[in-house]
Amino acid sequence: MKKADKVAYDKDYAAAKKDGKPFFPYAIYKDTIIAGLAILVVIVLAITVRVEMGEPVNPASTDFLPRPDWYFYFAFELLKIFANQNALTPVIMATFMVPNILIILLVIWPFIDRGPERRIWKRPFAMGTAVLVISGLCYLTFLGASTPEGIAKGETLPLTGLDAAASAGEAVYLANGCSSCHMIKGVGAPGPGPELTNEGAKGWDNAKMVQWMKVPVAPMPSFASLPPEDLENLSTFLNGLGTKYK
Amino acid sequence: MTTKDIGPKNPVEQGVTQVVDFVDERSGVKNSGRWLMFRNIPAGTSWFQTLGFTAMALFGMQAITGIILAMYYKPDPNTAFGSIAHITNEVTWGWMVRGMHKWGASVMIVIVFLHMGRVFIWGAYKYPRELTWVTGAMLLLMTMFMGLTGYLLVWDQKAYWATVVAVNIFASAPILGPYIGDILRAGPEFGPDTLSRFYSIHMLLIPGGIATFIGLHLYFIIRLGISEPPWAKRALRVQRDEEDARRKAARNREAGLKGSVSFPPAWVDDEQEVKR
Ligand code: HEM
Repeated sequence: MKKADKVAYDKDYAAAKKDGKPFFPYAIYKDTIIAGLAILVVIVLAITVRVEMGEPVNPASTDFLPRPDWYFYFAFELLKIFANQNALTPVIMATFMVPNILIILLVIWPFIDRGPERRIWKRPFAMGTAVLVISGLCYLTFLGASTPEGIAKGETLPLTGLDAAASAGEAVYLANGCSSCHMIKGVGAPGPGPELTNEGAKGWDNAKMVQWMKVPVAPMPSFASLPPEDLENLSTFLNGLGTKYK
Repeated sequence: MTTKDIGPKNPVEQGVTQVVDFVDERSGVKNSGRWLMFRNIPAGTSWFQTLGFTAMALFGMQAITGIILAMYYKPDPNTAFGSIAHITNEVTWGWMVRGMHKWGASVMIVIVFLHMGRVFIWGAYKYPRELTWVTGAMLLLMTMFMGLTGYLLVWDQKAYWATVVAVNIFASAPILGPYIGDILRAGPEFGPDTLSRFYSIHMLLIPGGIATFIGLHLYFIIRLGISEPPWAKRALRVQRDEEDARRKAARNREAGLKGSVSFPPAWVDDEQEVKR
């Protein structure tokens, strides 16, 4: 803002204040009403929608659904958007680049939009940004709330041609909640992990796959706690997906 | 102010007055309090400007319900889940306090976002309120981080693995990531100390940060005054007057170009108006 704009604003605000009303009671009474309503809403929610108890933590059991609270769904969906690209850089996009760029933009916004104009209909750039960000956040949150959380108990994968080792591997895959982040032939959650239907096409050997299970790239957690033979069978299963097992 | 002397005050009133006067003599609190409460704000102040105060009230409610929960909660991997079950099923009103804390977090996040939206749409972050916005942005980030750290404390499978994933994401950041991961986990792996570390961050570190930044935020708000709604009657009137002046100036300039020099002083004044 130019010096003259600042002086003009200060003058205008002083005039607004001179014509104004005292903080007490004119602002305080509105504040009290709305804050009281908000707390009432919290109390009503606490009474009508009881908070439940989940399953206690068992670090040895990886049969889990890693779902954040609803206000992080947008970040979770962001992970999914970048999940199906093969190189490692796109994951960094969702875990690091995009969030940090958004945070920096948030903090420095007043130093980007510095014009003196405050009227809503005269600030198309700022309003466009607002509409974009708000609808983006709402859309991603809605997506996060409405996508399935994985597969039902007892559901199996529509695969044929499994040998004994691969069947054992499939059982390990199903028992350890892999399908709450990965999809195989349309079964399982569509992210944040990439789809595994054609995992075998990568041509990895079992040693490489076992190593990945023990030390994966974030956000995937480590499965080092599984018994060695389970890891071996799981690797056989995954390395044949799309090639031997279709 | 006129005083009506109706005889000596009763002893209680006398005592109170004495205490207030004693404090005021040393702190000047009466004057600053009066200034704070009765300072003018723009007349058109709207209902949308109650959201910041509401966020503050919800933070206070979270603090109170959180203190009560901390009286029963045990931040140890072996006892955490059990203590939450105890609060939910056995402690008198425990389910209510826990429910309010849990729902309070969601409602507070919604309100903070709405507050930010109102500030954004009004352009209330513009000169001179840029730093009010920056302190507010810090408050938003800290509020979100409260949600993240609080989620683990119930110590159930869903929260545990979601937090493992979230911490993995922090740890995967270039350069500083591994250190941040170690700091959050209290080591290279999720272990017994991770839970008490999250507890300490959730109930001491971030609340302290939020309280500090609410203080800064309020300092700026009180010093600069709350902004006027862009559609306040007074603002619209000023804008209309400016438009009129501009049109008049244009008309006069036209007239001036044609050679009619009927009122040059007004012409000069209006030119100034246009530049502004
Ligand atoms: C815990 C979170 C927050 C609290 C307790 C809080 C509190 C307040 C309060 C009490 C006001 C006075 C006016 C009003 O209520 O609208 C205010 C104004 C303001 N807040 Fe916040 N706020 C928070 C978060 C934020 C965020 C996230 C931002 C933006 C990034 C922000 C930016 C501002 C600005 C620029 C003003 C001045 C607006 C004006 O003068 O019209 N605040 N805040």
